[in-house]
Amino acid sequence: MQKRTVTLLGLVAAALVYGHTATAETLRVGMECTYAPFNYRTADGKLAGYDVDVANGVSEKLGVDLEFVCQEWSGMIPALLANKFDLIIASMSITPKRMEQIDFSSPYRVSIGRLVGPVGKGWQLFGADGAPIAASFKGLRVGVERASTYFEWFKAKLPDAELVLYDGAEPMYLDLKNGRVDVIMTNPMKAHLSFLSGEGKGKYEFVSPAINEPKYFGPGVGVGLRKGNEALRDKISDALRQLIREGKLEEYALKIFPFPIHDDAWAN
Amino acid sequence: MKVEIALDALPRMLAGIGLTFQLLLLALGIGTALAVLLLLMRISGRWWLSLPAQAYCYVFRGTPILVQIFIIYYGLPQFEWLRESVLWVVLRDPFGCAVLALALNVGAYVTEILRGGVLSVERGLLEAGAALGMSSTHRFVYITAPLAVRIALPAYGNEIISLLKSTALASTITLADMTGIARTVVAETFAPYEVFISLALVYVSLAWLIQRSMHRVEARIGRYATRRAG
Repeated sequence: MQKRTVTLLGLVAAALVYGHTATAETLRVGMECTYAPFNYRTADGKLAGYDVDVANGVSEKLGVDLEFVCQEWSGMIPALLANKFDLIIASMSITPKRMEQIDFSSPYRVSIGRLVGPVGKGWQLFGADGAPIAASFKGLRVGVERASTYFEWFKAKLPDAELVLYDGAEPMYLDLKNGRVDVIMTNPMKAHLSFLSGEGKGKYEFVSPAINEPKYFGPGVGVGLRKGNEALRDKISDALRQLIREGKLEEYALKIFPFPIHDDAWAN
Repeated sequence: MKVEIALDALPRMLAGIGLTFQLLLLALGIGTALAVLLLLMRISGRWWLSLPAQAYCYVFRGTPILVQIFIIYYGLPQFEWLRESVLWVVLRDPFGCAVLALALNVGAYVTEILRGGVLSVERGLLEAGAALGMSSTHRFVYITAPLAVRIALPAYGNEIISLLKSTALASTITLADMTGIARTVVAETFAPYEVFISLALVYVSLAWLIQRSMHRVEARIGRYATRRAG
């Protein structure tokens, strides 16, 4: 009887040890899985996009396995903090506010925003100098994603706009098409590829210049991870710099866009 | 657990209490009116009235309310003609969509609650009414309805509390009710536990308030039926 208990305990211990080593080599990566063309599922259910390519490139450099976890945008940082996954590779911009909670690697993509609205409304939303005209935004219904850098920018710069908050990009685009919001603020690369050059062609257009304010949008998009993992963070930053030097990031971008979406200076 | 985050979040979330109550009261009012109509259809004894009412209750009780909200908010605008009709005035607005979905849903449940009340009215009373020469309409209005309401009331109170909690789903379609505000606060502070726990406390207090008031209503309506010792 006792012998059996000992064997059983041994098995449990072995399982625990084995289980532990298995997780040590696998990093769990959180992303939305619906944010085309950066992270999304293809028709046959595989994950693809720029973020996914970057994640795979980094994992190759680090020699670890990846496990992708799909998570709604607004819960991304809480989920990372709650240990649902180890890394955020989800087009998340590096901002001071987020850095109070989590750490970021060096950037791997530029971070800008732009407004999209229906064609032919004749709105004068931005002046010739590219600055927004506050009066034009009064009462304008603007769709932004909850917990996005665009939301922070609007709150600070144009408090008179009527902000409508979404938990993801897809429902926001739907409501723009349905006329529930007047304009949306979004990632111009995404807007161009998944909307303006396809379904929205001729009916919707950019109604603002590209807005690039590092104060709100940060220096770029990085890999997010829990604080206290400095060694891993530095390894990931190194891997990203190598990917830039080897031309891999450019290669990933050119699969989707006719231009690279990183800054070569980040390699130094 | 940082108490100051919870304390900061509380007044902000309470700013959404008005919207939560509007959703609750409007959906309850419309839903109850709908339920009375559906009840009359169900107990009419005519199959062509009763069957549609049954089908309605079956469908709306058999599908998640979140799915109903999504169908109404995201699904219906896919139809071009709908967006050009008068209905769009209600459906364009997320508030209109939420009230509609909650009312349709609560209507199905309250129909069943009321039917339970009607069925439990003792036959003998109705026979006595008939013996006194009351018409079936009179019997319904003066005998069945008052008794049925009294019997259905506790379950109805339960349904109101259930509806209060369902209003939180309106936050998924951009409404800034208490839950919607809480989710925004979470997005700013990245502190889901603190914020959602204080939100839960607010809902619990509201549910308690509803329960207390329903108790008083029950006591008032049932004042002739209460048995007193001695």
